[in-house]
Amino acid sequence: MKAKEDRRHRSPRVRRALEFLGFTMPAFLAVLAFVELPFLMSFGYSFTNWNGLDKVPQFVGLANYKALLLSDPDFLAAFGFTLLFTVIMVAATNAVALFLAVVLDGDVRGKNALRAAFFVPNIISLIVIGYVWRFIFSKGFDSLYAATHLAVFRLSWLGDPRLSFASVVFVSVWQAIGFYMVVYIAGLQTVPRDLMEAAVIDGAGRGARFFRITLPMILPSITICLFYSISNSLKTFDVIFSLTFGGPGSSTSSIALDIYKTAFGENRFGYGAAKSVALFVLILVVTVAQLSILKRREVEA
Amino acid sequence: MKKAFVLVSALLLTLSAIAAQGTTLKLLFYSPELSDQYNDMAREYKAETGNTLDITVLQADYVTVLRARLNSGDIPDVFMSSAYADNQTYKDYVLDLTGQDFIKQMEPTALMGVTVKGRVTGYPFLVQSHSFIYNKKVFADAGITVLPRTLKEYEAVCEKLQARGIQPFATGFKEWWVLPQTAWQALAPIKDRFGGDYQNFVDRLNSGKLTFKSLPEMKNVFDLLDLIKKYGGPKPMESDFTDQCAMLATGQAAMIHQGNWAEDTIRKINPDVDLGYLLGPVGDSASKAGIMFDSNQTIRVAKDGKHVKAALAWLHWLTFSDYGKKWVPGMIKQLSPIKGAEAPQAQLAQATVKLLAEKTPNYSWFYQRFPTGTEQALGLILQGYCAGITDRQQTLDKLDAEYAKIAAGTK
Repeated sequence: MKAKEDRRHRSPRVRRALEFLGFTMPAFLAVLAFVELPFLMSFGYSFTNWNGLDKVPQFVGLANYKALLLSDPDFLAAFGFTLLFTVIMVAATNAVALFLAVVLDGDVRGKNALRAAFFVPNIISLIVIGYVWRFIFSKGFDSLYAATHLAVFRLSWLGDPRLSFASVVFVSVWQAIGFYMVVYIAGLQTVPRDLMEAAVIDGAGRGARFFRITLPMILPSITICLFYSISNSLKTFDVIFSLTFGGPGSSTSSIALDIYKTAFGENRFGYGAAKSVALFVLILVVTVAQLSILKRREVEA
Repeated sequence: MKKAFVLVSALLLTLSAIAAQGTTLKLLFYSPELSDQYNDMAREYKAETGNTLDITVLQADYVTVLRARLNSGDIPDVFMSSAYADNQTYKDYVLDLTGQDFIKQMEPTALMGVTVKGRVTGYPFLVQSHSFIYNKKVFADAGITVLPRTLKEYEAVCEKLQARGIQPFATGFKEWWVLPQTAWQALAPIKDRFGGDYQNFVDRLNSGKLTFKSLPEMKNVFDLLDLIKKYGGPKPMESDFTDQCAMLATGQAAMIHQGNWAEDTIRKINPDVDLGYLLGPVGDSASKAGIMFDSNQTIRVAKDGKHVKAALAWLHWLTFSDYGKKWVPGMIKQLSPIKGAEAPQAQLAQATVKLLAEKTPNYSWFYQRFPTGTEQALGLILQGYCAGITDRQQTLDKLDAEYAKIAAGTK
């Protein structure tokens, strides 16, 4: 009886707090159980030489981190690959996506069909995309060569270490642009028309309008797109897994794939966990820096 | 509509009632190409004994899923793994099968890979072989009558084939598992230097007393890989298992390095293809050329599973029942490790039996004794060599460094 009374007389503040918790707790608990806890556990495993199976992992202190920083050329190579991949990916996806967004935001015939076409790769599983492109690069290009005799189809786009990087970047960009394009289109639609009209009356040309008005006005979209593209590129895994498996050799091995191969291919689970902590720190530092720099430059309409 | 629903639910109820009568064993298997054979066996077992086999078949993520289930306590009653190094990997989880009546029915050579200090840790499931497989018609059309045994003879054959516009090899170099199989076959005769005992050789590698760099025999490995690449078509690094099978089946390529398990895939593309084994070259020594032959696919009983007894009863049935005895040779069409089992109706398996009967050199799959996890890591290093990323010296350095790292982790 008493409890019922209490509920009726709860202060608005308590009620608001309960409402807040009621909405956020389910998601928070799910994230806690499936993301945070495993992460903390792998942090613990990174101090062991666990092989992924032994019932009692052996504690080895900082040995994994020492080996990682001092004597692992493969990890350094994967680190270098991932950084280069990220720089090119971020520049290419954002430039192409913004360009497409500007074009498709205007009055183009069939723009809805085109928007859908560019977005479709984004809703196909990354693993499937890898396998499809693997087929195109090998068998598809063979047939194209037979038909056209163009040398470009004779090149080993996945088997030559000098070309495989370009192939991986190309497929990743092709897959990613749809998402960023949609974010940019949404951003472009928030640019007030009156500002544009005023600029036209003042005699501003197309270029000046784009760089002086559009770009500053869609800076929030740019912040989001940069954030996503940086962290997704640093974590890149699926496309490479199915397209090249990091090969030939380990020439296209990203950090995430290197972690996978260490933990599940080589049975060095503890060491793989240490690598994943390193990747976490890298992503944290880069994205926090990026966010704090760009947030300062955003303007309100 | 409603009637159909009632009918279906009634059917489901009866089915589950039947299922509830016997025990249900949970099995985790790989090789999805054998799904039909697994299911047929489960149906027969159900019909004969009333017990149900609940078989999950996986491929690429098999090891990942198996580990997750073992760690989480959702332990399958029966699972598969490789022999040799995997005896050590799953040591905390497998039941000791020593002395079981079905183990006594096995060929002793098949038990070699699962025996640790006199204890039998698994049930050998298939006996398999690998070497170079050739398309007999393509060879005959090119006028090749004497089969090659040395590297030089292989090269001469390749020249002949290429002159006729046929690609000599489909490499399979895109698959990290094909590379070590191909490469280590050229290293197989090394056991002669270690008193015929591979374990002696591998122990020395594990302790670091021996390195790949110090082995003059590695020259044979590199020479072989170079030859395959040279005659492996315009894109040797993009050829995968499917490509190998298709090229050989259609006669576009004359040779592939694969095992008898590939025959099924090859025949699906060309049912009438005439296949044979070539002896894998070991430098210029014709007398050492041979095939690789072993029982590496192993069925393990989980000692912490809920139905250990039922699992043993199933293995007993698989070994002694009329159906069980015929299952591997008759349905899977591979060699069975059971004593006195019939020969399978498959060309490559029969070729294996014939080669063994002729006392052709045959080597066990010694590389499976390397610590678990080296197969993929070393395979990718060899792939890097084939792609021209590392030269021979750099490749040897990488092989040694990687091997030492993984060996240190498994001690």
